[in-house]
Order: sequence, then structure tokens, then C-alpha cells
Amino acid sequence: MKPKRILVIDDEGVIGDACRVVLSEKGHQVVHCLTGMDGLKAIRTGSFDVILLDMKLADIDGMEILQDLQKKQPHPCVIVMTGYATISNAVEAMKLGAADYLAKPFTDDELISTVEIVCMQRQQGKLT
Amino acid sequence: MTDVSEFESYFQVIRDIQRAVHTRNSVKEVLEVVVTKSTQILNAKGALIRILNKDTHQFEVRVACGMGEQYLSKGPVSTDKLIADPRNLHKVIQIRDIWNAPRVEYPQNAWNEGIRMMLDVPLAVENQLVGLIRIYLEKAREFSDSELDFIVTIAEQCAGIIERVQLLENQQAHFTHIATHVDKLSSLGRMAAGVAHEINNPLAGILLFSSSMSKKVPVEGPLQDGLQIIIRETQRCKTIIQGLLDFSRNSKPHTTKADLNVIMRNSIAVVENEFHLKHVHMDSRLSDRMVKTLLDENQIMQVFINILLNALHASERDGHVTVKNHLDERLRTVGMSISDNGCGITPDILEKIFEPFFSTRSQGTGLGMAVSYGIVKNHQGTIKAYSELGRGTRFVVEFPITDDVPIEKEFDETQTHSGH
Repeated sequence: MKPKRILVIDDEGVIGDACRVVLSEKGHQVVHCLTGMDGLKAIRTGSFDVILLDMKLADIDGMEILQDLQKKQPHPCVIVMTGYATISNAVEAMKLGAADYLAKPFTDDELISTVEIVCMQRQQGKLT
Repeated sequence: MTDVSEFESYFQVIRDIQRAVHTRNSVKEVLEVVVTKSTQILNAKGALIRILNKDTHQFEVRVACGMGEQYLSKGPVSTDKLIADPRNLHKVIQIRDIWNAPRVEYPQNAWNEGIRMMLDVPLAVENQLVGLIRIYLEKAREFSDSELDFIVTIAEQCAGIIERVQLLENQQAHFTHIATHVDKLSSLGRMAAGVAHEINNPLAGILLFSSSMSKKVPVEGPLQDGLQIIIRETQRCKTIIQGLLDFSRNSKPHTTKADLNVIMRNSIAVVENEFHLKHVHMDSRLSDRMVKTLLDENQIMQVFINILLNALHASERDGHVTVKNHLDERLRTVGMSISDNGCGITPDILEKIFEPFFSTRSQGTGLGMAVSYGIVKNHQGTIKAYSELGRGTRFVVEFPITDDVPIEKEFDETQTHSGH
């Protein structure tokens, strides 16, 4: 798989660090933002293939960022991460355009395969 | 001779008491009206009401008027002196010789207060003496029948009030107890959800690093073993937290028409082996008298497994766990009872058994029963635990039968079906 540019928006430093370690080993480039505001700024200025987005941020609601992302063309694939694992949360996030869903805590394999699957789907045109 | 105005004033007193019943909150306030008004209308020096304390079997002064502190401070009066002959329960007892009357416990003090005559009126509820009104007079005199009638009427009203208010107070205390309990459970649930969310973040860090590291160390050896333990234990935390979230979320069950017997049999199948290993006998006495109702089979199975495992842990070797079902046609409920003859639970622990994080086992998460409680509640059902120390514990789970299920018809079908 071709290296991807991945943005992690999560106010927990450890999540960003862990994602960087796991994903950079696969050749991906990882940027981590600790706030929703920084995340939005990064999205505006840079270009990313995948965004790993925590739904519960201190400054902005994850759902808001998700909605904002839909305006960007082409918008990156968003994988939502949350500590509240419910079907209804997932459905809500998917409706707002999220490509997939990771319930915290997750393993490196789960993270890598989720990222790879959404990228593949995007490539095959299954995700818009 | 009684005249009309006298009747009127009696009537007025009764009306005042009635009004007090409707506007006052506590028994004490109502009884205060009774003693004050009775003292006034009978031209007495004072009056008091003693109520039987069922725990101490003593008559304690609840309200008094017109009597000195010194007399009142004499304390409660023991039962045996006042136990009334049932034939006298609705009669006024006139005490003219206060020095020699066995009913008078402190004649000297009474005399010092200027008392020369007393009237005792028993307060009876269903022919049981619950209290007594004592009226103190400074001068012995004759009482007309209408006066005595009036006093008896007041006493009867008084007894009725005491009964009603005590019943109300008991119910109030009961409801407050339940309300606090429910409130405690739901706030604990909310708190637990917040904690769960906070914990999932560090767990995500641990799991990502440890699972990633396990691929960098030799496939076998102490490093790999250690990392696998970290991974496994982190996953366990995830399961615990998921249970917590399930409990606090009040997730709506996905219900289908299901048979409690089938769910119970499936649950037993899951835990049977563990019962066997611990040499605990399972007596499943499931009658075919059962109707289907709307249930989330997976969730209810979780509840039954939780209770069965609790029963197993409470049981000794060769203990018995008995499972029975029941169908209440009148209340339209179906239920299961799971009882063991194990160690039993003390009342203080029994109270906390459905609280999250409450566990008596070192290995327990303290979530099993809390989650079960939430599941049953979401089914509009009830879950109750009864226990006696050293004799065992019984859990009873009940669910309402859905309105569209005709009990008789369904029951017949079940019977025919089971006959094949």
C-alpha cells in the first residue's frame, strides 16, 4: 500500500504517539493535533488521506469537525475514535460521513487494518 | 343537664380536630390540638397522650398540655399497668382515688401538681391498645353521659388518626428509602460512564503500544509472555468498561417474543460445566406453564448467567441451586426464581448488591448484578434478592406479559406443543 498522510485529532498525547509509532512503521506519515481548533487548521492548510478523529474533544465536538470536513473537496476519509462504543454513536458518525469507527481501546492490528480498508475502499470508489 | 350550646362546643372541638388532620403534617401536631381542646372543654388542668412504643412496650408521652415539667419528666410508663381489659377499650376510666389506683404511677407528683381526679381513655385500633389519653382535673366531679360520650368519640377519632398517620409515615419512609436507592444507582451509573470514558483513553495507549511491541520481540520468551499479559489484561479492562457503559446507558433492549424457559435452559447450558466442576447440583424445575413475552434474549441470558454464577459462588461442595419458573395470570407476569442453599448474604450487603462496583469476591468486577439490574429495569421488569445468612439466597426476576398475549390461549398452545 502506498504511504498515506494521516492526521490524528485527539486531546490525549498518548493516542497520538501510539498511532504515530504504529502507523509510521507501515510507512505512513502521521501528524497529531491536540485540539479541535488545531485540527481544523491542519485540515485547511494540509492535505490528508485519512483523519483519525476523537469524538470527545475539549474545545470542539467531534461531530462538528466531521460536518465541517464534508465541505472540503475531496474530503479525507474519517475514522472516528471514541470511548463510548455504541451502535447508535457509530450510525450517527457514519451518517455525518465517517468512513469507519474504532472503539477505544484498540490494538495495532485493528488500527492498521481499519486505515487500510478505508483507503482501499476510497481507491475503489466505494467511499466518496 | 346538657344544653344545646354544650353540644355545639363539643362539635366544635371535633371539627377542630378534623381540620387539624387535614392541614397538619405530623401526628404530634394533630395530637396537640386534641389535648389542648379537650382540656379546654372539660375545664381540666391538663391532658396528655401516651402512645405505645412497640419496640420497648412502654407508653411514651407524645404530647401534653397544662402539666408541669416535673411531672412529665417522669418518663415512660410500663405496659402492664395500663393494659386494658378489651371490654373497657371504649370506656372512660374514672380515677377518683389517685393515691390507691394501680394505674397511677406517680401519685405524689400528681398530688403536688394539684391533681385530684384523672380520666383515662384508651386509644384502640382494631381492639388493640395503641395509646391512652389522660385528662387531669383539679377537682373531682361527676361526668354526664354526654360528656363521657364526647370523650370516647374524641378517643376513637384520635386512634383513627394515629393509625392513619403512622401508616402514612411508614409508607413515606419506605418510599424515601426506595427513592434514595434508585437515585444512588442512577448517579453511580452516570459517574461510572464518565470514569469509563476517561479510562478508555489511557487503555488505548497501553493496548496500541503493547500490541505493537509484541511484534518486535521474539515470538516466544519472557518478553512476549509479559506483553501478552498486558494485552490480555487491557482487553479485560475494556470488557469491564463496556459492561459499565451498558449499565449506565440504559440501552433499549431489542425484544422479540421469547420464552423464559428457553432462555433459562440456554443459560444453564452455558454454566453447567462450571457447576459440575465445583460439585454443585443444579435442580431445574421448569414447568410448561409459561407464555412468551417481549424480551431481549441475549440480555436476559446475561442476567440469568450472572445470577446462576452468583449462586454457584455462594454454594459449597454438594450444594443445591434450584431454578423455578412462575406465571401469574392475575398480575400478568412471568418470572424465574434462582435459589441456592449457600452462605447467604447479610442485610447490609443485600442492600448494596445491585450497586455498580460492589463485589464481595476479590475477582469480581462488581458489575454483574448492576448490569443485570439495568437490563431487567429496561424490560419494565423487577429483580429482587432475598437472603438468610447461613440458609441461602433467592433471586426473583419478573417480567410483564405483553398486552397482546392471551394467557390461556398461549398457555394451551405451549402445552400442546410440549406434548409432542
